Amino acid sequence: MGKVFVFDHAKCNGCRNCQIACKDEHVDNDWSPWAKPQPDTGQFWNRIEERVCGQVPKVKVSYVLHMCQHCGDAPCMAAAPDAVYRRDDGLVIVDPEKAKGRRELVEACPYGAIFWNEELEIPQKCTGCAHLVDAGEMPHCVDVCPHEAIWFGEEGEFPAEIAAAEPLVPERAAVDKPRVYYLNLPKRFLAGIVIDPEADEVITGAKVTAENLDTGDVLTTETDEFGDFWFLRVAEASWRVYVEADGYLTRAVDASTVDEDRNIGPIGLYES
Amino acid sequence: MGNNVKGTPIVKGLGFNSFGIGTNACAVDIDEEQDKILRIRPFHFDEHQTPEELNAWKIEARGTTFEPGFKTLISPLSLCYKKRVYSKNRIPYPLKRVDWDPNGERNPGNRGTSGYVRISWDEATDLIAAEIKRVQDEYGPASILCELDGHGETKFVHAPHGCQSRMFDLIGRYTLQTRQPDSWEGWYWGAKHIWGMDPLGQNSLQNNVIKDIAENGDAVLFWGCDVETTPLGWGGYLASRLCFWFTELGIKQIHISPDVNYTNAVHADKWIPVKPNTDAAFQLAIAYTWIKEGLYDQEYLDTHAIGFDNFKYYVTGGEDGVPKTPKWAEAICGIPSYTIKAFARYWADHAVSIAHCNGGSFIRSCYAHEPARLEVALLGMQGVGKPGANQFKFIEWTLYGMESVTPLPPSSEIPDCSPAYRGWFRSFPESFIPKTMIPEAIMNPPVSWYGHIGAGFPREDQFDGPYTFPLEGNERLHMIWSDTPCWETCWNGGNEMQEALRHDSIEFVVVQHPWMENDCFFADVILPTNTKFETEDIGTDSDNGQWNLVYYERQAIKPRLESKSDMEAVGEVAKKLEKYGGIYEDLYNRYMGGKTCEEYIQAGFENTGAAQKMTFDEFKEKQYYAFPTKEDWESLPVGLSQFYEDPEGHPLSTPSGKLEYYSTRLAEAFPDDKERGPVPHWIDEGAGHQERQYLERGRKYPFLLVSNHPRWRVHANLDDVTWFREMEETCKVTGPDGYKYEPVWVHPTDAGIMGLETGDVVKIYNERGAVLGGVRVTERIMPGVVYQDHGSRVDSVVLGRGGLDRGGANNLIAPYATTSSHAFGEVTSGFLVNVGKVDVFQLAAEYPEAFNRDYDPACGLVATARVVEGA
Repeated sequence: MGKVFVFDHAKCNGCRNCQIACKDEHVDNDWSPWAKPQPDTGQFWNRIEERVCGQVPKVKVSYVLHMCQHCGDAPCMAAAPDAVYRRDDGLVIVDPEKAKGRRELVEACPYGAIFWNEELEIPQKCTGCAHLVDAGEMPHCVDVCPHEAIWFGEEGEFPAEIAAAEPLVPERAAVDKPRVYYLNLPKRFLAGIVIDPEADEVITGAKVTAENLDTGDVLTTETDEFGDFWFLRVAEASWRVYVEADGYLTRAVDASTVDEDRNIGPIGLYES
Repeated sequence: MGNNVKGTPIVKGLGFNSFGIGTNACAVDIDEEQDKILRIRPFHFDEHQTPEELNAWKIEARGTTFEPGFKTLISPLSLCYKKRVYSKNRIPYPLKRVDWDPNGERNPGNRGTSGYVRISWDEATDLIAAEIKRVQDEYGPASILCELDGHGETKFVHAPHGCQSRMFDLIGRYTLQTRQPDSWEGWYWGAKHIWGMDPLGQNSLQNNVIKDIAENGDAVLFWGCDVETTPLGWGGYLASRLCFWFTELGIKQIHISPDVNYTNAVHADKWIPVKPNTDAAFQLAIAYTWIKEGLYDQEYLDTHAIGFDNFKYYVTGGEDGVPKTPKWAEAICGIPSYTIKAFARYWADHAVSIAHCNGGSFIRSCYAHEPARLEVALLGMQGVGKPGANQFKFIEWTLYGMESVTPLPPSSEIPDCSPAYRGWFRSFPESFIPKTMIPEAIMNPPVSWYGHIGAGFPREDQFDGPYTFPLEGNERLHMIWSDTPCWETCWNGGNEMQEALRHDSIEFVVVQHPWMENDCFFADVILPTNTKFETEDIGTDSDNGQWNLVYYERQAIKPRLESKSDMEAVGEVAKKLEKYGGIYEDLYNRYMGGKTCEEYIQAGFENTGAAQKMTFDEFKEKQYYAFPTKEDWESLPVGLSQFYEDPEGHPLSTPSGKLEYYSTRLAEAFPDDKERGPVPHWIDEGAGHQERQYLERGRKYPFLLVSNHPRWRVHANLDDVTWFREMEETCKVTGPDGYKYEPVWVHPTDAGIMGLETGDVVKIYNERGAVLGGVRVTERIMPGVVYQDHGSRVDSVVLGRGGLDRGGANNLIAPYATTSSHAFGEVTSGFLVNVGKVDVFQLAAEYPEAFNRDYDPACGLVATARVVEGA
């Protein structure tokens, strides 16, 4: 058991309150023995990663929280067992005194969550606002989230969320046992619009079938009132998209979501 | 170390409403022993009041419940505020321009380039007092212009804006720079003439609209509306939470704008990209589709509108031989005609409301009155006021103290602390100038216009006049006192303003401000004022959408550096004027109005209903009182439902009481106005504006610029916040020279044609000048359009018309002319520019002074950049 964080991507509006609150809490404030002051700029103990997805006019922006994962088997602890420790409540702390000069700790973290303080010559990272937690408060980043997209508490408080969660870096999860649980992490979309170019009209209710050329999996949907179709949360794959509508010749177009989300754009159907 | 973890909690309202209409209540933890601010966090309504005492509201619909929560939903623009207080850009002490000599050569033409030397408060206030006396004697009191509006910190007793005007009221008046309805231009100048809706032209009957949409709505149109950005200087994220709730309810959110704004990015179900300031063509094509396909409510129009036949005649091509077909619109606005038709049919078939947050090209471009009233024309064609079909705002929920402008459950009181307010005494002096016309008024008087040009005046005021400056027998302007030094970076045609500020006729410019930025560089004397953390005050927050509240603002820290509050700074000048006797006698006491700061705070408190609930001492101890939700709020009539049901019994405030598709008053007052005629039109261009891509000037300047309210600033505020500026992917773009440039969004197609990559530095330019920006190649902007927020700090390389600015303050190159010939608003988005890559090292070699200013990439320009050491 112990303390964990849960981040729900579906609830995040990308405001960065969490990121700025971390600065507010730790820059110019000395919370020894848990943390020395964070430099004004250059360190991101809490950071929102912003990614623009798709192409005009089907564009979304995803925001994902990056922070210390307070790993159950923390690589930083393994790298410096004398300088990094876990509190009884599970929070992983880089001891600002004992870690002095241990620059290699920055490299030890596979999540990029440890930063080097040139002036103090110490590695630094998120403490889970241990000083506030000890005073009965929430970490500052959690307190300021307007959408309850970040939660903090005892592992036992979030059984359903933890069961549904996925790790930020799946290939590291088994080894590091991260204790920041992610819900609804962004996946690719595949979308487009179906039109009748000769009539200069969108086609509503067209049947759209997307075949995953890598796995053979098939998804189907229909175009909406605007002629749009959307396949959300799909795999990174090559696709063949078949479009059928009564009275029209069926068309197939190829598209890829391997590198990015994909707006296929207008697919013109011609009368049969 | 670190023992005082929680600190002492106080309350501060971190809004930017400037005239004492406070907002954004935050809890601030201070360390009294160390005289420092520990942290800023949400304010909790339930600290001293129970949910029952707050009469906590909730809205239930479709099996879900929306509750506002018991803490304020503050934004990064509040959370960052320590960086503002401790900014390296704080003005450290009073300053005098090095080559301004009141007894010799004044060198007005050197304003904007000269450095400054440190002087004492004593010397600074002596100089200002002597200049006031001299200008008043030589030219008369109306030769002094007071610039006192804009979005400074919200303060009451230490009011950031208008303290100087309060003093001038006591010694023979002044000339007021009046603030036109800058946030609401199109609605104010246009929509008022079709549906009334004083004071702003936006729907002022919004009660229970959110509940109505939750129950009955199918879709909400976000017409250039950015819920995630625009409200943050005034409210917080309750509006954002409502968008998440709409998604949960299955209410479609459709965004219509050239850019994927921050709300579109997260909440949109559909984006319809439209070229900047071409919404009117799109709207006319929607009307055309409805008319041709019989998809509108003629019966409603028969009883609720006049002049629809005139409108129909124009739309279908009778008037000018141009039917406003979807194909016609497509060529102008860039939306495929098949999408225009599909959208028109969807709208006709569903309960659709329109949401707004102000700003952007939709409402602040040339002829913005046309899209604004066309929007109402469309709403009317679908029976506005029927269930699920209204216009509402995600912002300004108690503006002008009106209970009817909130779409959410109102509180029982909108607290009014005006007896505490020491800024602009809200009266109009006889001599005034619209803010949009200041450069002309300085350089080429006389100027004339219609109306008082103050946001909030009734519709009829637009026909009042003409007014002229200077008044008969008066001199032109010779002195300026600004507590709002951001004209260049917030208004239209800033390069022209730079010339005005350097004009020979202006003998003295004094600025008071906490930060060395923008128009400060044109001052002859600068007074360093302070932030609200350094003073004791009272505040209100009535824009959070949760519960209105009044709070006591304890002083958080001692005044920094040599700063004084705005009220105190002006008071120091008043003291120095007393020696001239006569009208100046006892001026300080008169200016202070016979009360101490504490007494003003108490007077403010006692003007609110909180005084019936607690004593002043209790108020200071508990630090707030929140007003419970109004009883029976559910019974307030929904939006325009009463007009919908009974137009005769509940008329609009138009002359006919109905929707006026033909405005009788416009026809009477300005019969020859081709830019704002009685029937809403598509306007290509006119004498003041040639801003269309498809016409001649568009060949030379082929891109349209979108300039929204900034994501990481409130207008010109907050540009020096290091924690924002280091966010390379969103806030600034670091150029090859290490300078943090204001981002310019360029679509990949355009970037390919111009050979641009993310991180390149470009100039955005037209014949009015150029500003630099850092390229971000992105799908968040449609092709043929570039995007740059407004409000980045000016960092001039070449001043005046045709000038060059490194900071990316694109207002400098916005049109000089006002909205249209009889509408005196600003045009600050949706204008033509070209874009070209620049070599910053070559520019640095060409302009070494400008490119070698004292600059800290983390903070940007710092105060010392203009201070001459040892002079």
